[in-house]
Amino acid sequence: MNLESFANMFVAGITLGAIYLLMAIGLTLVFGITKVLNYAQGSFFTWGGYLTWILTTKYVQWGYPVVIPIVMLVAFCAGILFERVIVRPLRRFSGWETTAIIVTLGCALVLDNLALVLFDPLSKTIPNLMEGAFRFGGLSIAKHNAIMIVITIAVLVLLWLFLEKTRVGMGLRAVSQDITGARIVGLPVDRLYGYSFGICTALAALAAILLIPRTLLYPLVGWTTLLKAFVVIVLGGLGNIKGTLIAAFMLGQAEIFITYYVGGMWALPIFLVLLVATLAISPKGLFGRW
Amino acid sequence: MVNITKALFASGGLLLLAILPVFFHSDPYIMGVLTLCLIWSMVAASWDLIVGYASVFAFAHLAFFVIGGYTSATLAVYAGVSPWIGMPVGGIVCASLGFLIGIPCLRLSGMYMGMVTFSIQFVLPTVIVWAGPGRFLNFSTGGSFGLHRIPPIEILGQAFSKAELVPSYYLAFAFFLVFIVGIYGVIRSRIGLAFVTIRDAENLAKSIGVDERKYKLMAFAISAFVAGAVGGFYAHYYGTISPALLSLDAFLLAFMMVLLGGLGVFPGAVLGAFSVTILNELLRPALLWRYIILGVIVIVTMITVPEGLMGIPALVRGRLSALRSTGLIGRRGDAAQDR
Repeated sequence: MNLESFANMFVAGITLGAIYLLMAIGLTLVFGITKVLNYAQGSFFTWGGYLTWILTTKYVQWGYPVVIPIVMLVAFCAGILFERVIVRPLRRFSGWETTAIIVTLGCALVLDNLALVLFDPLSKTIPNLMEGAFRFGGLSIAKHNAIMIVITIAVLVLLWLFLEKTRVGMGLRAVSQDITGARIVGLPVDRLYGYSFGICTALAALAAILLIPRTLLYPLVGWTTLLKAFVVIVLGGLGNIKGTLIAAFMLGQAEIFITYYVGGMWALPIFLVLLVATLAISPKGLFGRW
Repeated sequence: MVNITKALFASGGLLLLAILPVFFHSDPYIMGVLTLCLIWSMVAASWDLIVGYASVFAFAHLAFFVIGGYTSATLAVYAGVSPWIGMPVGGIVCASLGFLIGIPCLRLSGMYMGMVTFSIQFVLPTVIVWAGPGRFLNFSTGGSFGLHRIPPIEILGQAFSKAELVPSYYLAFAFFLVFIVGIYGVIRSRIGLAFVTIRDAENLAKSIGVDERKYKLMAFAISAFVAGAVGGFYAHYYGTISPALLSLDAFLLAFMMVLLGGLGVFPGAVLGAFSVTILNELLRPALLWRYIILGVIVIVTMITVPEGLMGIPALVRGRLSALRSTGLIGRRGDAAQDR
């Protein structure tokens, strides 16, 4: 392997890590605030991909500057609707966290099969964000990958600012820390739950727009990404943002090199073995602090 | 009084199961579905033991079912080992795996353990496909097409394959009796008592010295053993086994059985297994729309009766008494507090 392909793989690893980070942060955000582990997140990823395919390839050929905001907005609304119609009715009962697992799984089943019925099982492709490559002396980096990293960083910074500086963001953090306290001071808890789901699905849709041009689009595409995001969350130490960040980029790198040397289908099995081995040694993940 | 009613229901149910073939013995389709119901009942009941009673979010149960099936099947196909040895071996392999997976996973709290064990099921197909034809010299899992021509179980020259409808049903029924009674025995024993104490009163359990880790590992091993052994029966009965059993919809169907019956309420999982299996068969004509309809049914059921079928009597009773005493509408929370 020469230097150029090594550099390319390194960049590809960073971009993959960025994708996992988007998914993982969405999942932890929702789990932290609503205590729901959203197994339907992968299907929102898939549907984000299909919506992008419809808007860029199938019916109209719009450019990404228009498509990305539309898809994210639709996903945000879908997330809020999902919380309102599916999750909120569950919260009336005790022990609803277990019920929420099967209900979100049921939604995943419906959404995946709906994609199968509506768009047939054949794989689709969606265009890159930008064709061609940047050249730095002897090195070349695909423009798509470079833009992917820029967008991810921008979104993460915006999300951080939103959570730190805005009233809604502070409300979200308050709910995740102490739900009773949040209720006492009169925060609109139900609406905040809705926002957290909306943000989560919007991030999933963004992840799909960024990742799917490099792979293929098919009805079950979201599952592997979701499962890898699970691994990232647990490995990074639960609820530890810094740990999640490092774990996402580590696994992104690992996946690229596993794909190069062993084959892409082994990425998830090797991740799991790594995860179980890590847990056996350090029960709180790599950087955990509960 | 309640115990007598329960005993009556139980013996009535078992009697019904025992005489069902008298009515349906000529219909291969119905007999097949009934046998399938019995098989899934055992899987669901053992899953309920760990999720419902031991309150461990162990979602790798179907993985154990499939591993047990493949173990017994490959032993029979490539080494000529009798299923009567293969099935317990499959069970023991699964019990050991369950134990080994349990050790690191039990360090995680509820939902996170769910994530990790859930992933195990989705990783297993990769391994099965990898160990397909041509990988090893004299052994193969058959890859993504699965393993075929698995010899059936035999007793005194009588084969129990898919073609032998009534004998296979009764063999399944015999296994059903053994495992269901066994699981009930575990629930009523000191082990089951420990499970319930840990589930319902964790601090009390700790204070009187119940070793949570030990009992949860036991739950892993016992439930995995049953799943593995039943997986062996499944493989020998159908004569074929494939990684398709590890798909998302299979997971959802099986987990739905546990939840529909009622989590941690003993014969609930059996009721759930029968309802879901029959429902799944009824929806077969819907073709591609089948899983969409099934998913919607799952969602609507869980939103309306989250306590499952076993919770309905309490729900109704709560409603009635509330209506009688106050004249107002009953509170939904009553059923939950009854448990």
